[in-house]
Amino acid sequence: MKGMVQSLRALLRLKPAQKLTRDYLVSLLLAVALALLVGAGVMKLTGHDPLQSYAALISGALGKPRAVGNTLAKTITLCLTGLAMSLAARAGMFNVGGEGQLFLGAMAAAVVGARAQGPAWLVVTLSLLAAMAAGGLYALLPGWLKVRWKVDEVITTIMLNSVAIYFCSYLANGPLKTAERGIAAGTDSIMREAAFTPLIRLSNLTTGAFYAAAVALLVWYIMSRSSVGFEMKLTGENDTFARYGGISTGRLMLWSMVFSGAICGMVGMLEVFGLHKRFITTVSNEFYFDGMLVAMIMRYNPFGVIVMSFFFAILSIGGKSMELSAGVPSELILIVQSIIIFFMAAESGIRTAVGNWISVRRARLRAKKEAA
Amino acid sequence: MNTNEIVRFEHVSKQYPGTLANDDVSLSILRGEVFALVGENGAGKSTLMNLLYGMQKPTLGDLFIKGQKTGANHSPENAMRMGVSMVHQHFKLVPGFTVAQNILLGHEPQKGIFYDEKAAIRRVRELSEEYGLRVEPTDTVRDLSVGLQQRVEILKALRTGADVLILDEPTAVLTPQETEELFVVIRRIVDEKNMTVILITHKLPEVMRISDRVGVMRRGKLVKVLSTAQTSEREIASLMVGRDVIFDDLRTSQRAGRPMLEIFNLKSLNDRSLPALNGVTISVRAGEIVGVCGVEGNGQTELAECIAGMRPAQSGSVTLCGQDVTGKPPRRIRAQGLSYIPEDRMSMGMDARASVADNLLLGRQHSRAFSVLGLHLKKSAISRHAKTLAQDYDIRTSGVDEPAGSLSGGNMQKVVIAREFEFDTPVLLVCQPTRGVDIGATEFIHEQIIRKRNEGCAILLISADLDELFRLSDRLITLYDGRITGEFAAGSIDKQSIGYFMTGGYQEVNAQ
Repeated sequence: MKGMVQSLRALLRLKPAQKLTRDYLVSLLLAVALALLVGAGVMKLTGHDPLQSYAALISGALGKPRAVGNTLAKTITLCLTGLAMSLAARAGMFNVGGEGQLFLGAMAAAVVGARAQGPAWLVVTLSLLAAMAAGGLYALLPGWLKVRWKVDEVITTIMLNSVAIYFCSYLANGPLKTAERGIAAGTDSIMREAAFTPLIRLSNLTTGAFYAAAVALLVWYIMSRSSVGFEMKLTGENDTFARYGGISTGRLMLWSMVFSGAICGMVGMLEVFGLHKRFITTVSNEFYFDGMLVAMIMRYNPFGVIVMSFFFAILSIGGKSMELSAGVPSELILIVQSIIIFFMAAESGIRTAVGNWISVRRARLRAKKEAA
Repeated sequence: MNTNEIVRFEHVSKQYPGTLANDDVSLSILRGEVFALVGENGAGKSTLMNLLYGMQKPTLGDLFIKGQKTGANHSPENAMRMGVSMVHQHFKLVPGFTVAQNILLGHEPQKGIFYDEKAAIRRVRELSEEYGLRVEPTDTVRDLSVGLQQRVEILKALRTGADVLILDEPTAVLTPQETEELFVVIRRIVDEKNMTVILITHKLPEVMRISDRVGVMRRGKLVKVLSTAQTSEREIASLMVGRDVIFDDLRTSQRAGRPMLEIFNLKSLNDRSLPALNGVTISVRAGEIVGVCGVEGNGQTELAECIAGMRPAQSGSVTLCGQDVTGKPPRRIRAQGLSYIPEDRMSMGMDARASVADNLLLGRQHSRAFSVLGLHLKKSAISRHAKTLAQDYDIRTSGVDEPAGSLSGGNMQKVVIAREFEFDTPVLLVCQPTRGVDIGATEFIHEQIIRKRNEGCAILLISADLDELFRLSDRLITLYDGRITGEFAAGSIDKQSIGYFMTGGYQEVNAQ
């Protein structure tokens, strides 16, 4: 997945932060349809019935309340990480370090959640703040290096991922390792009353969803309706112009990075308080990179990210259940995702070629008509 | 068919997605003439020449060079083989190579597998003598003046023994003297070598001086071909714009007020960390326009950027409305009372991907008129404001939500001017306000600058266009090598003499 992210990034750097136009959405729908068709072809070739398999996928993702809950929980993770990516990217910062920020956030939340004393709501609040501070501060470093010394944030954030992940792993295996038995690498469990409770029985969807919704709404508002969002957009699209126009571009880039990191930290906190009740070293399975893909495909459009997260969550949750019930390997879903990404990366090239062809044809036809 | 004909376009059209760049153009160009192709920006003159030079292929119609049809696989190589060469507006030279290396690039004489430098130098000397274009083959191109670089470009184009030479806006970057020399060369190769020169330009005085015939283009169509001897600047201008144009001297005598912008002994480096400003002192008073003339690359860019806070000054000071603003960020300088029209509108003056409305909003996003508490943007007020400005400043757009980059050059510039002028600041810094802008819009922009001056603004005008400077300025300053070489009241000097100061003549005078 990491390799894919980087090649995609190379493609997107060539045409950064373009708008989500109607044409683009049409292309996206076509790409999704084509990708599902190719997926069906592969199923056919490997001896599975495509219709049945896709039916299994849908019912696996949305068939039962518990499935819906899991799909929504997955949507939240994708959506928050995607929004974190979008927020920084809008201001021209390419935060690839969300995974590390997420780990640190999870660790901070787990530590505070286990040690803080007091009523549950206070513990939740403190943990949330700790997680966001950990993620945000960790993003501040590459942001500062970029703004002050023009150090490429892509390189620093990728590197800092490993630092954070291994550091947390060390803590969970060493000084902060729980004394409880049966836990290989994890911290003490958090205060039981403070943990989020499931909204749908046995599913991963918990009361944490409300926090997620609030943050998603806030990010959407900042990006599309506020004057700060306007300044971020101009900074991301043309920072010389932004500075010329009196915007403090450095400060803005720094803050967008910090906010992006804070959201990632919060995702870590949601995982800990919703699912694992403690920090474990497998708290995230490259969740941030999935979110990045969603964000890039939707060109950092916050509303688009929310919708696309739901679609990718269906593929992801439904894919696993398809494997169980129809016997289709869940890797097939990766093929479908990759094809969508492939088409979207080549989108503008393909569309320009088609557009040229059409306009030349029209001119020829008109000339013929005039000659006749 | 005229036996003297060398190039013929037959019903040529070129369709780009969304625009018809050339619309049914039929034209024949003769051997041994200077043919000027004029038209506003986007009229299709460059496209037409790119078709001839094989950079683009016509959608419809045929092209003939010396009676031979060019066909489907026409390319620059093919064009050169058929005797057509082109010098582009932006030079395509390798700065670190010598003159000889540049001229013979791709056709280097060889000794075995090695580059034969002696033969190359000899070959360039021959070329240089043959066409009367003096260059020194061993000079490095980076060290040459723009005029000399152009000479190298022309020699490069003539290397293959061309019969037709296309020059795209050749005088845009030249001093009056260099332009004069270029014209001598053009006349010589046309008269002595019986070559054909096609000149793409929008400077009408030059058309009148040098060309034999002139073709006027408007919106992709060839409107008219005139014999230069039988037409006038005014007729050509009217044909280009499609209506009558009147150019008057816009200066009026007016008493200037107190100094609003004072620059003292300013020093600064350019992007390559070399000294660009070597102690510049200028004072601009309320109600006057001070014009800075100079050949490009003599510190104008750095001067403007230092004043606006976009580039750090090494020493010296900038005082705006009585306040020292040296080293302050652009935000503070703007708040102190400066509006700034930068020379490069695409990279500094606007965000081409943002909408026209957003481009007009910048700088006011926290104001009470367009936001609630400086946080929540009032979309409808912003859009209304943009529509009003589009009307007031005659910005032609299909809608204020269109990306600014989709506008024509002139309309983009009007967006920048509308935004900056509406701040109503006491000081205006205006750089290259009409570069790449068509005649109609130029007229309008000049009127706006004059209006601001009459309202009492202090205006510093930096331009490479002498006609513009002479038309608008109350005082003129010449900048050469980051120093001020002369200062003149309007009307006390003519264009020829000022060229002398623009090329450092002042220092020679002083040295004597």
